[in-house]
Amino acid sequence: MNRHLTSKQISQYLVGDLTPEQEVHAHECSQCGARLARLESSLSHFRSSVRNLKETRPMTRMYSGNETMAGFTSVLIHAGVVTMILLLGTLKPVQSMISKSVTLIAPNLKPYEATHKGGGGGGGRSPIEASKGKLPKSAVRVFTPSRVDPTDSKLPMVPTIIGDVPNITAQNYGDPLGKIGTPSNGTGFGGGIGPGMGSGIGSGRGLGSGGSFGGSVYSIGGGVSSPSIIHKVEPEYSEEARKAKWQGTVQLSVIVDESGHPRDIKVAQSLGLGLDQKAIEAVEKWLFKPGMKDGKPVAVFATIQVTFHLL
Amino acid sequence: MERALSSEVMSDFDGLVNEYRPRIFRFILASLRNRESAENLTQECFVKAYKAREQFRGAASVPTWLLQIAANLVRDHENSGRLKFWRRALKVDLTDVMDVIPDRQLSPESMLSVKQEVEGIWRAAAKLPERQRTVLLLRFVEDLNLLEIAEVTGLKLGTVKTHLFRAIESVRRALEEKG
Repeated sequence: MNRHLTSKQISQYLVGDLTPEQEVHAHECSQCGARLARLESSLSHFRSSVRNLKETRPMTRMYSGNETMAGFTSVLIHAGVVTMILLLGTLKPVQSMISKSVTLIAPNLKPYEATHKGGGGGGGRSPIEASKGKLPKSAVRVFTPSRVDPTDSKLPMVPTIIGDVPNITAQNYGDPLGKIGTPSNGTGFGGGIGPGMGSGIGSGRGLGSGGSFGGSVYSIGGGVSSPSIIHKVEPEYSEEARKAKWQGTVQLSVIVDESGHPRDIKVAQSLGLGLDQKAIEAVEKWLFKPGMKDGKPVAVFATIQVTFHLL
Repeated sequence: MERALSSEVMSDFDGLVNEYRPRIFRFILASLRNRESAENLTQECFVKAYKAREQFRGAASVPTWLLQIAANLVRDHENSGRLKFWRRALKVDLTDVMDVIPDRQLSPESMLSVKQEVEGIWRAAAKLPERQRTVLLLRFVEDLNLLEIAEVTGLKLGTVKTHLFRAIESVRRALEEKG
């Protein structure tokens, strides 16, 4: 073979893929030999340049110690750290901080909105108290106040009151809690029946009937069961009362709503020295089983007595 | 040259690291041309080797085994796209590797010529696909034979030959263009 190696065959020679004839030619032909030598020399320089590459940073020694020992030490250190954390929990300052936990209860500050206020007073300024009788029909508005003695109007209008009406059988209109006797509109004024003021019936003031009738807040009795306490929070003593060794009872009037929460807490009988406020704060957190009427929970008026006494 | 694996060799892992670390490092650096990545991957290579030392039964020589791990790491590294030095075909950065031209007793002209040659090969290698570059480095820098290269890269002998031929062709063309 006399033909010189092609460029491709020069590359093939370096791979070792030449035929035996080509191999012989590569060794015998000075021209092809020179081309090969030049390429090999370049690659040799490249090899030297790569082999001269050195790491700049010092070699990191691989860990060659006792692995079991290392593992054991690691476990010990971890156990130590966990023990330290647990010991921290036993320290008095830490424990006192933990015990100072405060239960936060967001009181419902919204005033209780009864659909109808009870207690419409009445009266015709009569010297005799309101007489017993039935209540007029319930309506959303009162156009004409109830009277025991219907007026002689040409176009009479049926008297109404606002709120629920207990079923009482009587001839005349009157106060269901009134006394049987001479028909009377009561001692109050305003056109209704009763000792109060307004167009309703009862001892209050307003459009409905008395405390027992007309509002969606009921008084206990007459088919309305009293609420019972489910959860009670003991009131705290105020600082002044403690110093003064003040004792006694605060009487609070509240409305226990359908869900058993006390609302519209008012002091009925004050004790002073900050104890009223403490009693209110405590009662606000109380929870009741609500009063029941006809098997349904209803809001009822209740009186709570909170007694403060020092040991 | 290659040292057969034995339990004595593996028991002295520290000695093994000292012996082969420069070689592994230069292979990875030549592959990636980024000193920091090369140092990290070299470390990773020996950590992997240390973890896998129990499974190694000595079917291959220790350097072949280590180069195998290194080649895999280089491939993973390139595939992850963390560094794209080799893909920047036009702008090749040789700052990490080009200050290491062997200092021989050459005339300044010859020195310049050698430097240009080497730089040409570096640039040509930079443009090669990862497989071809690895095969080129294993053959002409690490002096592995084709069978060993096949073992390191996990490729068939024929494929190794094809990659090597293409790599040499690229280098040869680059050198011819330089003059």
